[in-house]
Amino acid sequence: MKMARVTPAYEGPPRRFGIRWTPRRQRTFWAYVFVSLPLLGLLLFFVGPIAFGLWVSLNDWNMVTPVTQMRWRGLDNYVYLLTRDPIFPRAMANTFAFAAGGVTVNVVLGLSLALLLNQSIRFKPLWRVLYFLPVMTAPLALAVLFGFLFNRNYGLVNDFLVSLGIARQPFLSHPDQALLVIIAIAIYQYVGYYIVIYLAGLQGIPKELYDAASVDGANAWQRLGYITLPLLKPVTLFVVVTNTIGALQVFDIVFATTGGGPANRTMTVVLYMYDTAFKFSRMGRASAMAFILFLIILIITLVQLRLLRDRTRG
Amino acid sequence: MEHRSPVVRYLGTLLTYAAVVAGAVVMLVPFLWMVNASLMTPGEIQARPPVWFPAEPQFNTYARLVEVMPIFRLYGNSLFVAIATTVGVLFTSSLAGFAFAKYDFPGKNVLFVLILATMMVPFFVTLIPVFFIVRQLGWINTYQGLIVPGIISAYGIFLMRQFISTLPDELLDAARIDGASEPRIFYSILMPLVTPALATLGTFTFIASWNNFLWPLLIATDRDLHTLPLGLNALRTFAAEARNLDLLMAGTTLSVLPALILFIFLQRYFVKGIALTGVKG
Repeated sequence: MKMARVTPAYEGPPRRFGIRWTPRRQRTFWAYVFVSLPLLGLLLFFVGPIAFGLWVSLNDWNMVTPVTQMRWRGLDNYVYLLTRDPIFPRAMANTFAFAAGGVTVNVVLGLSLALLLNQSIRFKPLWRVLYFLPVMTAPLALAVLFGFLFNRNYGLVNDFLVSLGIARQPFLSHPDQALLVIIAIAIYQYVGYYIVIYLAGLQGIPKELYDAASVDGANAWQRLGYITLPLLKPVTLFVVVTNTIGALQVFDIVFATTGGGPANRTMTVVLYMYDTAFKFSRMGRASAMAFILFLIILIITLVQLRLLRDRTRG
Repeated sequence: MEHRSPVVRYLGTLLTYAAVVAGAVVMLVPFLWMVNASLMTPGEIQARPPVWFPAEPQFNTYARLVEVMPIFRLYGNSLFVAIATTVGVLFTSSLAGFAFAKYDFPGKNVLFVLILATMMVPFFVTLIPVFFIVRQLGWINTYQGLIVPGIISAYGIFLMRQFISTLPDELLDAARIDGASEPRIFYSILMPLVTPALATLGTFTFIASWNNFLWPLLIATDRDLHTLPLGLNALRTFAAEARNLDLLMAGTTLSVLPALILFIFLQRYFVKGIALTGVKG
């Protein structure tokens, strides 16, 4: 209780359903009413499904036979995926290559552009909006657009290569190039997000630090290396982790450009899970994939929390 | 302060602008090319070396597009689903956020930890089970199947709780002394105060729902329920050949445009929202 309550003299709190409704009880009652609906949804669409999915991953199930008649498989689905499945390791490798490639390039690109935009430069809001536009665009639409731009015969990218004297490339239909193109699409789509995050981070660095360093004779590169970059470390940790987690779940871009091909060279975990579940009706195996990837994401999240805690302690 | 010759400083500024403008051109060219190609004849699209602008803008491509892509239906469905989802998320998030921020009740901490835990669960983990639940409910090819599983957001609850925690308790106590009931405090005292947070959460939820592809792909097999990304996906398979690229680009233009226009108007909420939610590390 924050403040003394002045209650006018009256015959005590009202009674209803055999309960004395003190103000405190009334508030508790309403608090439960307020959380009940969101909590019900949370149970029905998150907590319940997680438990159910975990159970499905230990069974063979095609979603047609009744839930009670699933065939128990124990850890077989997991063992199969990790040791015998011909595609899953490939899908994992592709997914990690996609995440690592896209995030690394975007950290460098996003930070560089944020440093440039943080200077006294004209039309700052305009540049920010332009760089941010693809972030707002449906990944599916970008996939369609870039499928066109990277087309072998009438894509702009190949026209550009030809103007440089380089032969036309197959890009999305080439086993070694397709994943790189998909990474390029993701870089294009998300670089604006990194820029905005880094700009906010840069604005959080006290100006006095730079003034003091200048007085001490530090040049621009030294100020960048000794002040800006070290102080941006938490921001970098944040963008790297959140974007890695996001990138590990890539689906739309791959679905609409290559569908996982050629020869599964762009197959990703979520796309493979989708195919396994909704094309081949192997719910158990697909659920096991989901939990393997989930475990990896969980480890990344926990490492991030650990690193952040160490920073605040140290 | 260090001293640099004006020439060096001038050169630095020039390079900065060159890099920023070059980047911006790279960002813009795909969109411009999309619009241009949608107005070209198939012959112009395939002409090599490329023509940059149509000799005569082919606006009738858009008229032809309406015949193969039910664009108004798609707009309507996308808008309805996105608005309903957003309203749902805002309502459930502020209700639960309010309870967690300003009330004490047995089990509160356990429940809040539960919400923090579900925040870390990616969508693909619950995809198959939620699909099964929705199918059992008979919600395949219904609007509620598209909307209801999306109206609870653990992240939204967390965000609203954080925001509401910063509001002074005195405001609520004053209303109580005036005899306001708790629901009344929620909608006439709290809601006006949380509008900035609602605007941020709302814009993010709206865009996420508007751009969502995988969930509608599973739920809306019926063309009448298609949202924009599904319509574009159908157009993609229909207009794969070169002679239909003008149609494909017209369809892409129409599906991309509303979000871009919305963003240009609402961009301050995005930038603020990202700064608010992003840099907490």
